[in-house]
Amino acid sequence: MADDSLASHRRDPIKSSVGNVAAQRRRQNAATVGKERRESLVRAKRLCRVGATGEGDVLVEENHMMTDEEGFLLEDQTSSAVKELKSAVVYQGKGAMQKRVNALRELRRLLSKSEFPPVEAALKAGAIPLLVQCLSFGSPDEQLLEAAWCLTNIAAGKPEETKALLPALPLLIAHLGEKSSLPVAEQCAWALGNVAGEGEELRKVLLSQGALPPLARMVLPNKGSTVRTAAWALSNLIKGPDPKAATELIKVDGVLDAILRHLRKSDEELATEVAWVVVYLSALSNFATGVLVKSDALQPLVERLATSNSLQLLIPVLRSLGNLVAGDSHTTSTVLIPGHEITDGVIKVLVKCLKSDHRVLKKEASWVLSNIAAGSIEHKQLIYSSEAVPLLLRLLSTAPFDIRKEVAYVLGNLCVAPATGEGKPDLIKENLVSLVQRGCLSGFIDLVRSADIEAARLGLQFTELVLRGMPNGDGPKLVEQEDGIDAMERYQFHENEDLRNMANGLVDKYFGEDYGVNE
Amino acid sequence: MLIPLVNVVPSALTKDPNSHVKDTTAAWFLFSSQRLFSDRWKPMEVTQVLLNAQSIDGAVRKNAEESLKQFQEQNLPGFLLVLSGELVNEEKPVETRKLAGLILKNALDAKDQQRKVELVQRWLLLDGNAKSQIKAGLLKTLTSPVSDARSTASQVIAKVAGIELPHKQWPELIGSLLSNVHQLPAHAKQATLETLGYLCEEVSPDVIDQDQVNKILTAVVQGMSSSEVNIDVRLAATRALYNALGFAQANFSNDMERDYLMRVVCEATQSPDVRIRQAAFECLVSISSTYYEKLAPYIQDIFNITAKAVREDEEPVALQAVEFWSSICDEEIDILEEYGGDFTGDSNIPCFYFIKQAIPALVPMLLETLLKQEEDQDQDEGAWNIAMAGGTCLGLVARTVGDDIVPLVVPFIEENITKPDWRQREAATYAFGSILEGPSPEKLIPLVNVALTFMLTALTKDPNSHVKDTTAWTLGRIFEFLHGSAVDTPIITQANCQQIITVLLQSMKDTPNVAEKACGALYFLAQGYEEVGPSSPLTPFFQEIVQSLLTVTHREDARESRLRTAAYETLNEVVRCSTEETAPLVLQLVPVITMELHNTLEGQKLSSDEKEKQSELQGLLCGCLQVIIQKLGSSESTKYAFMQYADQIMGLFLKVFACRSATVHEEAMLAIGALAYATGPDFAKYMPEFYKYLEMGLQNFEEYQVCAVTVGVVGDICRALEEKIVPYCDGIMTQLLKNLSSNQLHRSVKPPMFSCFGDIALAVGEYFEKYLMWAMSALQSAAELSTHTAGDDELIEYINTLRNGILEAYSGIFQGFKNSPKTQLLIPYAPHILQFLDGIYMEKDMDDVVMKTAIGVLGDLADTLGSHAASLIQQSVSSKDFLNECLSSEDLMIKESAEWAKLAITRAISV
Repeated sequence: MADDSLASHRRDPIKSSVGNVAAQRRRQNAATVGKERRESLVRAKRLCRVGATGEGDVLVEENHMMTDEEGFLLEDQTSSAVKELKSAVVYQGKGAMQKRVNALRELRRLLSKSEFPPVEAALKAGAIPLLVQCLSFGSPDEQLLEAAWCLTNIAAGKPEETKALLPALPLLIAHLGEKSSLPVAEQCAWALGNVAGEGEELRKVLLSQGALPPLARMVLPNKGSTVRTAAWALSNLIKGPDPKAATELIKVDGVLDAILRHLRKSDEELATEVAWVVVYLSALSNFATGVLVKSDALQPLVERLATSNSLQLLIPVLRSLGNLVAGDSHTTSTVLIPGHEITDGVIKVLVKCLKSDHRVLKKEASWVLSNIAAGSIEHKQLIYSSEAVPLLLRLLSTAPFDIRKEVAYVLGNLCVAPATGEGKPDLIKENLVSLVQRGCLSGFIDLVRSADIEAARLGLQFTELVLRGMPNGDGPKLVEQEDGIDAMERYQFHENEDLRNMANGLVDKYFGEDYGVNE
Repeated sequence: MLIPLVNVVPSALTKDPNSHVKDTTAAWFLFSSQRLFSDRWKPMEVTQVLLNAQSIDGAVRKNAEESLKQFQEQNLPGFLLVLSGELVNEEKPVETRKLAGLILKNALDAKDQQRKVELVQRWLLLDGNAKSQIKAGLLKTLTSPVSDARSTASQVIAKVAGIELPHKQWPELIGSLLSNVHQLPAHAKQATLETLGYLCEEVSPDVIDQDQVNKILTAVVQGMSSSEVNIDVRLAATRALYNALGFAQANFSNDMERDYLMRVVCEATQSPDVRIRQAAFECLVSISSTYYEKLAPYIQDIFNITAKAVREDEEPVALQAVEFWSSICDEEIDILEEYGGDFTGDSNIPCFYFIKQAIPALVPMLLETLLKQEEDQDQDEGAWNIAMAGGTCLGLVARTVGDDIVPLVVPFIEENITKPDWRQREAATYAFGSILEGPSPEKLIPLVNVALTFMLTALTKDPNSHVKDTTAWTLGRIFEFLHGSAVDTPIITQANCQQIITVLLQSMKDTPNVAEKACGALYFLAQGYEEVGPSSPLTPFFQEIVQSLLTVTHREDARESRLRTAAYETLNEVVRCSTEETAPLVLQLVPVITMELHNTLEGQKLSSDEKEKQSELQGLLCGCLQVIIQKLGSSESTKYAFMQYADQIMGLFLKVFACRSATVHEEAMLAIGALAYATGPDFAKYMPEFYKYLEMGLQNFEEYQVCAVTVGVVGDICRALEEKIVPYCDGIMTQLLKNLSSNQLHRSVKPPMFSCFGDIALAVGEYFEKYLMWAMSALQSAAELSTHTAGDDELIEYINTLRNGILEAYSGIFQGFKNSPKTQLLIPYAPHILQFLDGIYMEKDMDDVVMKTAIGVLGDLADTLGSHAASLIQQSVSSKDFLNECLSSEDLMIKESAEWAKLAITRAISV
């Protein structure tokens, strides 16, 4: 080791044998050939697009033609792939298994190839019975996986194509069991998720065949794509409208814990799917909603809203929060008590959502706020004094219609006291005055002009508050300034009786014959 | 009128149930290796364990190595401390002290760059107390009476210094080494000088300030001076100077100091001790390349010294004296090459034309050496003597001065070529052969035309094998440099072609070394006709040549002098350079070679020696098949005819793999690459059986060339199979990523592995998604490492190949994803890629290949991401400058890529 460095200079002799150089050169040559081929391949791919440049129209047209052609080709390939599968299924000789797997793989490859998988061609060629056969018990995992994958992509097709899976459902459900390997179970869950997503009818079939319990058990582990896929499939399965499945799900041993755990700790992708499960649980089943609220599900939801920036995750989490607030009065009255940390947390994340760029978040946050604002006086004051109000006011004048409508509910609820019985609710005068001073009336008058009955009603209700509640009888003047009279007079002959009476009543009462006489 | 309405789930938003079309299977798994823990190893046993680690009993040794490894893993500072304690302890046996030092050294340095970085980090993070103790022990060992312990400690100190000095740690080291060097006993002084030498070898000059350099040089020069009585000290000092020369930039710029240093070195060349003389000449060789431009005042003296040494001194010294002139040739060839490329002269170093001035004396001196051949040097592959060195230097001189050498050598040739003493005839021939590269064809061809007939006669008739050997080699050199489409006046004509071939084929029956050289001549003869057009002058002889070469391969003594290898490689070249006319004959070769390969597989039980022979032969046959397949596969008609043999050949290749139990045959792998290209998508049918060998090849860390070749073959297969490669991608990608994260794999394999990502992505398109995250993160960390280059030319060259590999991967991935619905997956990676392009552009040290690939990637990014890329590209620091620079490049390939990139970017921006 020491003397290496001092080894004498020794160069290669000029007279050397050809073998060394030649072998070296031959290898280099092979490497060069490879490199050249790589380069020519890349060049070909690059040019592939350049050929299609020029005018935009031409480009589109060419693409279309290509797609069509590809489509035909794909269909052709698909029918022959199914044929191949047929012969592989009946074949019993040496290497039968490999043959089947290869055939399945080819079909699967075709079915996942384009944005428009050749499902129709596959069905026409008779793929389903073959795939069902490939799902038989005791088949090797690879075969099960490929078959389930094919079915997954078929189920992603049009409604009647999804329905074609009916004969496969019992086996797909069977392979969800603990005895299956994880990839197989996951693939089956995926296929079933697609089926469940199709509609109520298929959901009913799946539920009657017992798909729920095994899927539910698949979400119990801590992590993994299997859990995510199963959660997604479950969210499709419990969509209702029958609430029975949702109630059944929350009753499955361990599911509640798993949901809370995933919401708290899992990665965002998994949390997203689980949040969708919570959305449907809370939307459909009062029982489930109650259980969730009692188990403190609000806390992790608020945390997710506070920490995540993933829209995919925020939407279902916010929706869940809203459902829990809306679905169970217990939530507002005993959990979200003003002064509690959780309550401040909720307001804070809702403000965050109001500030976001995404309209869905703004809209749903307003919706949640409107439900909280429907609570006690303390709730109203809490919101009123929060950062939300300026945001809401801005939204009421600038946001798209559907958001404005939600905002109107919040602002309206802030101005009226909790209902105490019959008759008109009491006003919270300070709030009303301040909000009107800050310019919210024009937003409500705008809603009066809307063709949407619900929005118009909201607008009229708020106008009534202003007319009735503004001190010094300033109400009518303010309404007139905002062209409110004109807006209400449009209802003179409106087909909706309720609105017509409301508008006419208000005009008669506040802008009757005496109006303006004093001036 | 009730306002407080509670409205439940808004209906606007429901989740699209059918959006999940899945197109990936299993998830990607990360690897972790598990390590077993066992009882902690007690330090008391260190001596015994170290002794056991050198035991001849394999089991004992392995056990000891295992416990060393465990101790190291469990408690590194403790482990290193124990080792240094062992090294310093005078009561311990010398062999355990040495081994302890060696292990210590290996804990500080490794050949593999990445591993080295890890070790350095580990040392830097080590507990300061432990480090101080270790260092104190090392320094103490330098005074040990045991020479092996001292020498080991010197090296370890240098390694520690190599780590710490660049971090401004251990600043007192050099001071403490030098502080009392004068008062030390001779053995300690010697160790100190040795340490300084290693230290200079380890650390780069910029971390030691000039003041310390001066002190080191002073100590070293004093150690070399005649006032030093101890020979070992003088030797250590001379060797230390060799390493310290690189630090002496400033001193060499100062006339007085340089004069002094040169004088000391030249004096040392006259030392009575041969080792010192040799070391001093080595210093001169090193000075010749490091301080070429400072040599003018000394060159005359050096010539005298070297001439005397060449003529009179012992061979190791004489060899270094010749090497001095070879090294000067290297320098001048480089400088003149740069002049030639660009007359404005990028190079700061002017050519002093030392060689041109010296040749009147230098060439006769070298010619003299040619007469000092050893009797059997042609049979000994490792031979190196003064005659060989002299001829090699003569060849370099010819390349340096060109035509000027010819009149100086021709008289020597004429004088000696017909002499009865074989040494004179051989030397004359060797001289002729040596000067064939460099001088102009105009100058040489008249000579060659005269000499050719003479040589052909000598090759058949000369009674001496050594002469014939050199004659055949000279013919090869003639064909290599003076025959081919680049030379205007052909030396091989219709008139003499037949004779040349007849003589060469005849000589293939001569002794193995002569036959080997004759093959070589034929190799270059065939190569000269590579681009001859549709009809080759060799066509009429094709059959006969092939037959003769095959006969040579069957000679009993074909393994001597690497004759069989030469014969097969020549056959390969003959095939490679053949034309359409002889395609049917090449096709006929297929069953012949196939049968030969088949025969090697008819194995009975073989001894390990026979097994090696068999494997070597299989390699040659596979190599031959590779060339044949490549040749036949390159045209449609022959490819079709060849395909009838494909199954059979593939079967044989698989058997070749199977008969080596653990490793994969590189040549067979290479041949399979060619086969994949020829068969195209049909290659899929071989994959189920072949795949495991492919995996084995990728796993072959030890023989990294095998791994490299296999990586290349993966690329070939990707192009052949396209999306049919998908079922094997998991395995291949797993292995590639594993390899990339390994410290053990030779670095040269890493760039092609990155390119291979690109090959796979091109083949499978958006299916690559499942590997995207991993591949991108591997690429990203490699990109970060390779943005900046710092180091010697070799490192810069490596970094450029690495960059190229990374860029090819990016190109492949972008183009693979193009037009797929998943292109948006690539968007998050774009900023980093642009940053990488910015980075390497600003470094200003890319070679043309990287430039071409890099500008291509810029285009690919724009092409695939379209408008998503537009703003990023517009924001990037240097994309525009880079593009403009490429657009105005003189390299057509760069220009072409740049024009395309420009188009793609324009399109992306305009969307």
